[in-house]
This record gives sequence, C-alpha cells and structure tokens, in this order.
Amino acid sequence: MPDVTKGVAASAPALALPITRSSKGEEERELVRLAQNGTEAAYEELVRRHQRRVSALVGSILRRHEDVEDVVQQVFLKVFISIGRFDLRAAFSTWLYKITVNECWDYLRKKKVRPLVYESDLSEEQISRLDGVVSADHPPESPSERAEVKELLDWMLERLPEQDRQLLVLKEMEGFSVHELAEILNLNVNTVKVRLFRARGRLMDVYRRRKSSGLNPDHQTTARQRKV
Amino acid sequence: MMKNFQSTACREFEASLEDYLEGELRGPEAAKLSEHLKTCARCRAALDLASLTTRLLSAGEPTADPGPGFSRLVMARIRLEQQRAGEKGIWLPFVSVAWRFAAAASLTVIALITYTTTLHPVPQQNIAQVRGAQSRDLVTDAGGPPESRDEILMMMAETNHGKH
Repeated sequence: MPDVTKGVAASAPALALPITRSSKGEEERELVRLAQNGTEAAYEELVRRHQRRVSALVGSILRRHEDVEDVVQQVFLKVFISIGRFDLRAAFSTWLYKITVNECWDYLRKKKVRPLVYESDLSEEQISRLDGVVSADHPPESPSERAEVKELLDWMLERLPEQDRQLLVLKEMEGFSVHELAEILNLNVNTVKVRLFRARGRLMDVYRRRKSSGLNPDHQTTARQRKV
Repeated sequence: MMKNFQSTACREFEASLEDYLEGELRGPEAAKLSEHLKTCARCRAALDLASLTTRLLSAGEPTADPGPGFSRLVMARIRLEQQRAGEKGIWLPFVSVAWRFAAAASLTVIALITYTTTLHPVPQQNIAQVRGAQSRDLVTDAGGPPESRDEILMMMAETNHGKH
C-alpha cells in the first residue's frame, strides 16, 4: 500500500499556505479551517491529500464504472459546499468518507444500476494463475500480470456478499484501517473484525469451490453493468 | 453470490484471529489465543485459510491516484458551479417578487370565492319571493274587473278571437 501522504509536505509550502502546525492531524485541521474561511488553495490541498482514497472508496462501491471520476468530483463539490458546517472536533477524513459512501449509494439509486456483475466463469488458465498467487510460486510482477490478477480477484470478490467484498477491498487492497472502516460504515470495531475474518473465509471458500467444481476452458471472465 | 458459508473458527475468537492476522494482538489477548490455538484445530485451519487471503488480495493493484491535475479539475468545477449559482442569483429577486405576486393573487381569488359562497349567501326565502313577484308580473289576473277602457277593448278582442 503506497503511502499517500508522501509528497504532501513538499506540496503544502508550494501553495504558500499559512500553516504552522507540525503534526499531520493538526496540519489537516488548519487546512480545513482555512478552507472554511474561503481559502481555495487550502481546499485544493485537501483534495490532493484525499483524492486517491476517495477514488478507491468510490471504485470499491461502483466498481470499474466509467462514472467513478465524475462521482469523486461530485463528492469534493458537495464537501466544498458544506465544509462550513463541518465540526472541527471530528476527523475530516471520516466525514469526507461518509459523504463519499452516501454519494455512491445516491448515484446507484438514481442510475438504477447495480455494481459490476461477473456472469461467466473462470477458465482453467485463470484458475492456474490464481493458484500461483495463492501458493506464492508465481506472484504477479509486471503491471499487466497484476492487472490480470486484479481481474481474477474481482471475479472472486463478486461472489461474496456486498459488505464482505467492500470490507476486504478497502482493508486489504486500499489500506483503510479497521477503525476507519468502522466509522465509515457505522459499525462497531469488533463487528468489523469479525466480519473481515469471516469474509476471508468466504473468499477462500469461493476459490476452493471453483477449483474443485471442475474446469471449463471455454469460460471467460466478462463483466457488465446490470440494470436493476 | 454465496451466503451460506459457515466460519469454522470459534465465534469468541474471530475478532482476535483478525487482530492476530494483522499483527495487532498483544498482551493477555495474544496469550489467550495462543493457548486456544494449541487445542483447537478448527481455529488453526480458519487462520491458515484466512492468511492466504492477505497474500491473494495484496496481489491486486490498489486504486491509482487520479494524478496532480485532478485537484485542479475539481477546483475548476467548483468555480464553474459557483459561477452558475451566481448567474441564477441575478434573477432571484425577480423570481421572488413573481412568486409573492402569484401567492397574493391566489389568496385574493380564494377570499372572493369564500365570501360569495359561504359568508354572503343569497337567502332561499328571497329567491322564492323574487320568483313569486316575477310570476305575478308574467301572469295577468284574469279574475279581476277591468280597470280601464283599453282593458275592456282587449277583453272583447280576445273573446271575439276565441269564437273564430
């Protein structure tokens, strides 16, 4: 998981913002305070800091939908409009991620589409590819290999209940902490842990079932949006 | 979509097993789980299986950063929306006056209708009186004696006309 905060220290002085606080949390609160007072550069810095994680969150809910970027922009627009009402005692990121989740569900409701659905099966070659990853014999190295494995993982994750899939993606692939997930999804921390552990079991169950159910080389993974 | 999966791990240790996977289990909780794992094959199997998911999922690519131009794009959209909101704001006073005028007109019409129908009704008795008066005007009183020479002539003409 890349450290998204890298480079922030370099970018903040470039904007010539009057930030004097040292800790990351304090610095972010200062940026929020400046944005609340109408400093656009401060808000732009906040966007820069959170754009990757907001994109990940939107992507995990909408999947590889072509409107992900548009929804992310819409989130930042809404946050800009309502930042004056944000209570500085809470964490800005949690507030932002909650707005993001709500915006995603609004979007899905308006568009009347469900997230990406994989309807076909995995081929023999694809199963072997996953075997290599699980046994660590052949971890993906090139970007194209990683993209291929991501595609196969999406196929498996699609077979999990929506919340299991979302928890696993955000925790394992996007680097959200258990505490962040609990706050974003309005769940108890212990509940998140239990659900995560069970989701792991379900994911491996999908993998094992697919392996043992026989292989069909004609099947290919395809994905499409399905109207509700 | 699968929903009927049952975890093999003991319920009371699931949260601790997740913490253990994350390397966040310390102190007495860690000791308690260690003791439990020595005797519980089901929890050991569940832990082994779950640990594979970490490897599997870490093979996937995290979402890429939208790039340095994205924040500028967002700010441009914000400015555009603000501009649009400002343009709408020019017409806002006129729209407000128009709505007030429409509301006042509607209230006046409602008040007039209410007044004419409920507060100031035409009494039924008066209508009857008017109707009675109208009917008296229209029907000549044939039973009474003629009052003038003209009336006598008219009666004679009518009588003669009836004979023919």
